[in-house]
Amino acid sequence: MILDFEAVTKRFGALLAVDALSLSFRPGIITSVIGPNGAGKSTLINMCAGSYKVTSGRILLDGVELQGLKKHQIARQGVARTYQNIRLFDGMTVLQNLEVCLFPELFGKTLVEVLVPGASRAMKEKRIARCMAVLEHFGLEGHAGEFAADLSYGNQKLLEIARATILRPRVLMLDEPAAGLNHGETDRLKQTLRALARPDLIMIVVEHDMSLVMSLSDHIFVLHQGRLLFEGSPAAVQSNLAVQEAYLGSPGEIDDLREAARNRSNRVRIRAHTDIERRRPDAA
Amino acid sequence: MTSETGATTPFLPAAKSRAGRLRAVAIVAIALALLLYGVPGLPTYYVRVIDMVLIYVLLGVGLNMVVGYAGLLDLGYVAFYAIGAYTYAILASGQFDIHLPFSLLLVVGGGLAGLAGVLLGIPVLRLRGDYLAIVTLGFGEIVRLFMNNLGWMTNGPQGISRIDEPHLFGMGLNSPRDFFFLLLPFVVAALTIAWRLECSILGLGWAAIREDQDAARGIGIDTTVAKLLAFGLSATFGGVAGVIFAALQRFVDPVSFSFWESLTIVLIIVIGGLGNLVGIVVGAAVLIVVPELLREYSEYRMLLYGCALVLIILLRPRGLIERRYNPAWLMRTLGWR
Repeated sequence: MILDFEAVTKRFGALLAVDALSLSFRPGIITSVIGPNGAGKSTLINMCAGSYKVTSGRILLDGVELQGLKKHQIARQGVARTYQNIRLFDGMTVLQNLEVCLFPELFGKTLVEVLVPGASRAMKEKRIARCMAVLEHFGLEGHAGEFAADLSYGNQKLLEIARATILRPRVLMLDEPAAGLNHGETDRLKQTLRALARPDLIMIVVEHDMSLVMSLSDHIFVLHQGRLLFEGSPAAVQSNLAVQEAYLGSPGEIDDLREAARNRSNRVRIRAHTDIERRRPDAA
Repeated sequence: MTSETGATTPFLPAAKSRAGRLRAVAIVAIALALLLYGVPGLPTYYVRVIDMVLIYVLLGVGLNMVVGYAGLLDLGYVAFYAIGAYTYAILASGQFDIHLPFSLLLVVGGGLAGLAGVLLGIPVLRLRGDYLAIVTLGFGEIVRLFMNNLGWMTNGPQGISRIDEPHLFGMGLNSPRDFFFLLLPFVVAALTIAWRLECSILGLGWAAIREDQDAARGIGIDTTVAKLLAFGLSATFGGVAGVIFAALQRFVDPVSFSFWESLTIVLIIVIGGLGNLVGIVVGAAVLIVVPELLREYSEYRMLLYGCALVLIILLRPRGLIERRYNPAWLMRTLGWR
């Protein structure tokens, strides 16, 4: 199994966000995509998930073209994602946020569930048991009855990952999972992500926290202005001069830049909150 | 896990309790008997008001699927009520001298309205909020104008009056009391189906669409199918209510299906508590009974509605009945389990 981007291009008007990019993502390893702002990292995820239409090129999962499919069809192909700005179902409980993810699997049985006596209760209990097991795995079982909006920021991030993984996807794309997390939460996240790795899972992480990227990834793609600048192991990326110039700065400045990256994460967190506020009124 | 957190997850009982169910049924049966026969010689007028409450419960439960569950504001719901009512009025009256049986027309009326619901759903799939409200409002008016102007079929503004007396299982239904016993099973069935839908995976999917349509697609929900199901099912309830209404009144005219009816049904849901079936029953009772009590001041009805709505939004924005007082709570309280 393999996820291939073949000469994928994305244009927003005059802006060329992704420029004839060809990448291959392999299962069983954690692949990170890094690059400065505007390098096209999130665009890559959004195209793969069907949120953006591809201007040209193909995205193939095991030979199946994803770029023409609708968003929910792509999800049913086993492509799951988290969002840069957390997007949980705020008015639903933590448990319901997971339950609803079983929709693609259980929707066909709705008629039985509604009309057959006893089926409603039995199916709901089964669903809850399955979701509670996942919540326990993420250490969220104590929050099952709370509204998702009332969770702490770190727990919301975890719940989003739980939501993306409950149907055992083939591709898991995490858009800035560590943004806005403190050190302890980032460590917990790192362990959680490591534990998620399976031989049959393609894991893609877009992240700005360099220490997390370097310690978590098996393989790294460095994007710059919509093109692939470099790819290799974390060590190779760190020692590559071109990458340092484009992204990390001159060798002596790396510590400063790490600090900057951390600050940026904080900004992202603030932005995430304002985005959520803004999204509310015009949910269109 | 408890419901004290204010969460609405309907936790269902772990074990069945036959005795508990019997007791719950007994309590409800006694309450109904008191309602109908406990007050000696309850005037027909009051029974009629209770009938109208039940019809509006049906309408509220139906509209709630679209507005409360899926979060799509529909201001033209009365159209489906009208389609159901005119189905019975045209196919069981002297209008064309067609006299189809009531039970068949319940199915036909519900089905036609459901079909109309899906047909309305298709063009408005991309719309939400205000835009959706305007388009559905327009749809409601279009249907009413059809009834008004399609004289050869609907008899225009004069309405259709020589409507058959409905027969069910060989019995004629002609008093409001008969209709009470006809409506009761329909209301119970509607509430049961709606509650089971709410608890089902489809109900959760609707809730996800209501919360964040885009994220709902992202987890693999086909929002097109889910929304059309909401529109279709919701409209079916309205159609069935319309057939029963026409059979009860034995007369239909376009005035009964004005925009204000749509608004009343929306108000029932909003005042009772959006998305909460217990709230809808309370909302229907309040919005039908109170105007009847204040009949002498009926010219102020809309003013009172407006004031009530403003007060509700200021004081209890989530409606009269809190969400934790849902059917699960009711079943617990009655000792169902």
